[in-house]
Amino acid sequence: MSENMINTVPEGTKKAGEASSDRRKFLRKSVALAAGGAAIAATSAANAGDGLKTWTTPLKNEPTRHMLGRGVVSVPYGLPSKYESGVVRRNVGWLTADTIASISFTPWQDLHGIITPNGLHFERYHAGAVDVDPSKHHLVVHGMVKQPMIFTVDDLKRLPSHTAIHFLECPANGAMEWRGVQMDSLQFTHGMMSCSEWTGVKLTTLMEMVGVDPKATWFYGEGTDGSALQRSVPMEGAVDQHGRPIPPEYTNHYRDAMVCYAQNGEALRPENGYPIRLFIPGFEANISTKYLRRIMFTDKPLVTYQETRHYIEVLPNGMIRQYDLVNEANSVINYPCPDFKLNGKGTYEIRGIAWSGYGKIAHVDVSVDGGKNWKQANLVEPVLNKCVTKFTLPFEWDGEEALIMSRATDETGYVQPTLKQLREVRGFNSIYHKNSIQVWKIEKTGEVKNVQIENV
Amino acid sequence: MSKSKMSNWSLGLAAAAVALTLSANAFAFDAAALKSAPKVQGVGMNITDAAIKPWDISYFYDGTNLPDGKGTVSAGEKIYQEQCAMCHGDFGEGAHGYPKMVGDPVDQFEASAKAGVDAVSNRGLNNTWGNAPTLMDMIHRHMPFYAPGTLTTDEAYSVTCYVMNLASIPGVGDDFVCDKTSLPKIKMPGEPLYVTNSGPDTANQRCMKDCYKGTPFVVEKAASIGNVSVGKVKAKDTQ
Ligand code: HEC
Repeated sequence: MSENMINTVPEGTKKAGEASSDRRKFLRKSVALAAGGAAIAATSAANAGDGLKTWTTPLKNEPTRHMLGRGVVSVPYGLPSKYESGVVRRNVGWLTADTIASISFTPWQDLHGIITPNGLHFERYHAGAVDVDPSKHHLVVHGMVKQPMIFTVDDLKRLPSHTAIHFLECPANGAMEWRGVQMDSLQFTHGMMSCSEWTGVKLTTLMEMVGVDPKATWFYGEGTDGSALQRSVPMEGAVDQHGRPIPPEYTNHYRDAMVCYAQNGEALRPENGYPIRLFIPGFEANISTKYLRRIMFTDKPLVTYQETRHYIEVLPNGMIRQYDLVNEANSVINYPCPDFKLNGKGTYEIRGIAWSGYGKIAHVDVSVDGGKNWKQANLVEPVLNKCVTKFTLPFEWDGEEALIMSRATDETGYVQPTLKQLREVRGFNSIYHKNSIQVWKIEKTGEVKNVQIENV
Repeated sequence: MSKSKMSNWSLGLAAAAVALTLSANAFAFDAAALKSAPKVQGVGMNITDAAIKPWDISYFYDGTNLPDGKGTVSAGEKIYQEQCAMCHGDFGEGAHGYPKMVGDPVDQFEASAKAGVDAVSNRGLNNTWGNAPTLMDMIHRHMPFYAPGTLTTDEAYSVTCYVMNLASIPGVGDDFVCDKTSLPKIKMPGEPLYVTNSGPDTANQRCMKDCYKGTPFVVEKAASIGNVSVGKVKAKDTQ
């Protein structure tokens, strides 16, 4: 185990001076860190109990020891302990005009696995969450097909099913950090992503049933909520509205697409599209239309409001980039993170999550010295396609300042970029797909801060 | 976000628009994708196009499927004042945090992006909209926000016409009439700026040791904005 441990080295850790803040009130600090920071920890096998304080007060029973507890079904649908009431979705008031066309964030700082409990899945609405009656709801599949068809929700449940665990991520995850450090909380830097087991019908099953015309190169889904949200999805051979080809990386994702009715084994939540939604693994979440009522096959994109105005990237050459559909490899350390304070020096386990819209996570590396030296973390099984993968690495904290960060590599060989690399190609107006390496700074006090490294 | 220059960025670096080197497309999806699809019988119903019609409300960027009917700028002005201005502003400047109709003129928008200052807060119909039929589609399906999908076709054409006039879209004068033939002909100012993504655009290496010389330049935030303590969780509860 100790061979796989990463530790901070106190010698040479010093502040190299402080520059005054600019008018955006960023405090800039240079922190010199020892180059040998990631040396293998030589934790010599200590004797049990060495160096620890001693508890001497006789132990008392807790109140629960002498009382009867609640009976079965006193809470027919179980809820977390009242002591976990802080583990909730949160939103950022100033981000949107109201909570109806808005977003909330998953508290990854409090999650320990790869699955997001259904009540904590992030929310993104363009016209609010609605309660669609499944007994009255229908899905129409039409357009370039031999036979347009209509299905009830029960019809869909009767069809051969498909189940897979995948992440779902709003491409605006991290968007508030493009221009500088803004949110001192993992929930707000990375919470627009959740991961669930999804069950439904594969789109290809429905395609076979309606007999999709081989000349179809796009399809789109449409919701039955107030936004009737629609997004164009490319298939092989798709060209954009100017006749420019859509890269092949994006034209096969639809093969894994499904019309889902279940999430983590139970019906979808209204917040996530009940009774049915489209789900396209690996793609930005906006394309996975909720409250799905219609799928149309076509030979050209719609170029919807969402595609022309929202989910675009304004590049540093002044151009506006469309159809950036895949969420590329990303990772973040969720323990330690700014939402918690470290409780004194000694052993910790660095834990984090990594995901890629292109496939499986191949490696995650961790640095505790600002990215000079890295150590490969342990990947926790299961390691699945387009799914959150948990990673761990034992960490010996010496009580000094440390810059900790993780870097994911996916099975295509793509390595998660630094913020500097990302800004070089995307500038500051990109908003979406900010998947750069996240740096947390551990202070001597044990406090953890969100920081950015500008020069590497 | 304020229009401030962030600092010592080198902005002369190559942009992301990479030349496409794809071979000619077959313009057909790969039917092999359906090979493993199960053969199903007796589930669902066939449906006629006439039955689908009320749901077939998507207007393509090029005007395909735009409905019959028409609207004028002056009729649109009245609808806008009654049903839209409270959120989008009397002059399309946006109100109470709701989106603007009128953003920076497209050349100014482009210049801001090139200079690395804030461009995206000033998005509007006159910069980040590729096609006028899309605007008709959006307004007819999604607006007014509190009662989506309630405008008649003529009302939707009219208010589409009016907001384009408000945003000084070239060709949309006070007498302009919006319908299924006139809308596709409008050249939206931002249209020439659109490019299509060409796949991953960064190329980090998996360096493990002594990855750079010198000191990391670490930027922190000066003050936390509205931190509250929720149990052991330190997060910003802003609602
Ligand atoms: C209650 C506030 C409200 C009212 C009233 C309202 N809108 Fe909107 N409008 C919004 C919101 C919110 C959005 C963003 C929707 C989203 O996120 O998908 C929006 C977006 C838009 C957009 C896209 C703007 C852009 O560039 O992002 C247009 C165009 C628009 N509205 C037109 C109208 C018209 C026309 C009316 C009147 C018929 C109207 N709106 C009434 C709240 C409102």
